[in-house]
Amino acid sequence: MQLPDLKALQRGDMAAWDAAWPWLWPAAFGAAHVTLQPYLPAEVEDVAIEALEELVEKVRDLKSTEELKPLAASIAHHRAVSLLRERFAKKRGEGKTESLDVTGDEEGHAHEPGADNSPLADLEQRELAQRLGQSLAELKPPLGEILSDFFLHGLRYEEIARKRGVAVGSVGVYLKRGLEAMRRIWGGREES
Amino acid sequence: MNDERFFDLAMKVIARQATDAERAELDAMIAKNPALRTEWERLQADARLAREVAPLMAATQASGGEFPAYARERLQTKVRQALGGSRRGGVKARWGWLIGLSGAAAAVVLLAMLASRPAAPEIEVALLDVTGAVRGSDTNEKALFTQRWANATVQAFDKPADLDAWQTNRLQGGRPVTKIVYDHAAGEVRVILPGSGKPFSRTFSVERGLAIALQEADTFIREQTNKGR
Repeated sequence: MQLPDLKALQRGDMAAWDAAWPWLWPAAFGAAHVTLQPYLPAEVEDVAIEALEELVEKVRDLKSTEELKPLAASIAHHRAVSLLRERFAKKRGEGKTESLDVTGDEEGHAHEPGADNSPLADLEQRELAQRLGQSLAELKPPLGEILSDFFLHGLRYEEIARKRGVAVGSVGVYLKRGLEAMRRIWGGREES
Repeated sequence: MNDERFFDLAMKVIARQATDAERAELDAMIAKNPALRTEWERLQADARLAREVAPLMAATQASGGEFPAYARERLQTKVRQALGGSRRGGVKARWGWLIGLSGAAAAVVLLAMLASRPAAPEIEVALLDVTGAVRGSDTNEKALFTQRWANATVQAFDKPADLDAWQTNRLQGGRPVTKIVYDHAAGEVRVILPGSGKPFSRTFSVERGLAIALQEADTFIREQTNKGR
C-alpha cells in the first residue's frame, strides 16, 4: 500500500485517515498483543484502537510519515503496560493474584508484565518511538530478522541459518552485531 | 576464536539451548578469566533488551492483520474531534446528513444481525511437523490453539499425505467445519473455510509469533463467518 500522506492526516482529511487505518493497525495491534496476550487477551483489540485514537491527537507533532508506525506501536505498548499494572495493582489490593500471576513465556522465561526493571519501562512514548524508528533504520536485513528468530522465536543457530540462507558460522556474528547495535541505540538510557 | 566460542556459548545458555557440557564450559571460561564475567552480565542485559525490543520491532514492521471494520466509525469521530476532520469534495460534505443517516441504518441492521447470530462454526486443527518436535515446543503450541479455540479438536501429523487425507475427508463430510493447519516447517497457519461451493483458504505467517498468527486467523474466521450470515 502507498504510504499515508502526513500533511493530509494532520489537516484531518478523513479519506487519508480511512486509508491509513489498515496500514497502522498491525503496529498498534502487534505492540498491544505482545504485552497483553498472555494475561489479558480480550483487551488487545481495544488497546490497539485506543492507541490509534491517541495517535490522532499526536499526529500534528510528527515531522515525517516514517514516524507514524513507531509512534503507534509505542503508544500501544505504553497503554498495554499501564493496563497490566493497573489490573495487577487491583488484584493485589483485593488479595487476589490467581488470574494474573507471574507466568513464563513460550521459552519458559519467567517474567512479570510491566515490571519496573524492564529496559523500556521508563522511556517516554516519543523516546520509545524514536528509538524504535532508529532500530528499524539501523538493523538492516538480516540483522533484525535474526535477532527475532533467536530471541523471539527461540530458533537454534542451525534453524536460523536454514531459514535465512546464511552459513551457520555467521549466525553468531549477526547476533553479535545486532546486539551491539541495540546496545548503542537503547543502552544510553540504562547507563545514565 | 575463544571470543566467538564464549559468545556462542553465552547465547546458547541465555536461550536455554545449551547442554550441561556447554554450560560447564562457559562456567569454566568465566572462572578462568574474570573479565568475561562482566561481558557475560552485559550479554544477559542485552538479551533482556532484545526480548523486549524484538517484538515491538516486529510489530512496527508488520503488514498483516485485518483492521476491524467496527473501529472505523469510532476513529473517525476522534479525527473530527481532534483535527476537525474533513472529507475531500464538497458534494460529500453537503450530503453528510445522508451519510450519517445511512450509518445509523447500517448500525441498526448490524445490531439485528448480531442479535440473530448463530452458533460459532466448528473448528478442527491439524499440526504438521515432518521433522518431529525439535524443541519440545509442541505442547506449548497445542496450548495456544486450545486457548484460542477452546472447543477445537487438535490433531498432530508427521506425514503430509495423512494431513491431505484429513483435509479431504473431513471437508467432504458436508458439515460446516473450519479447518486450521499449522505447518511447522513452512512457518504458516492456513485457515480453510467451508464455502457453499469450493472451500477457500487464507495463510498467515508465524513470523511474528504463533500467537499473533492465531489472533489474525481468528479475526479472519469471525469476519468471514459474519459475512456469510
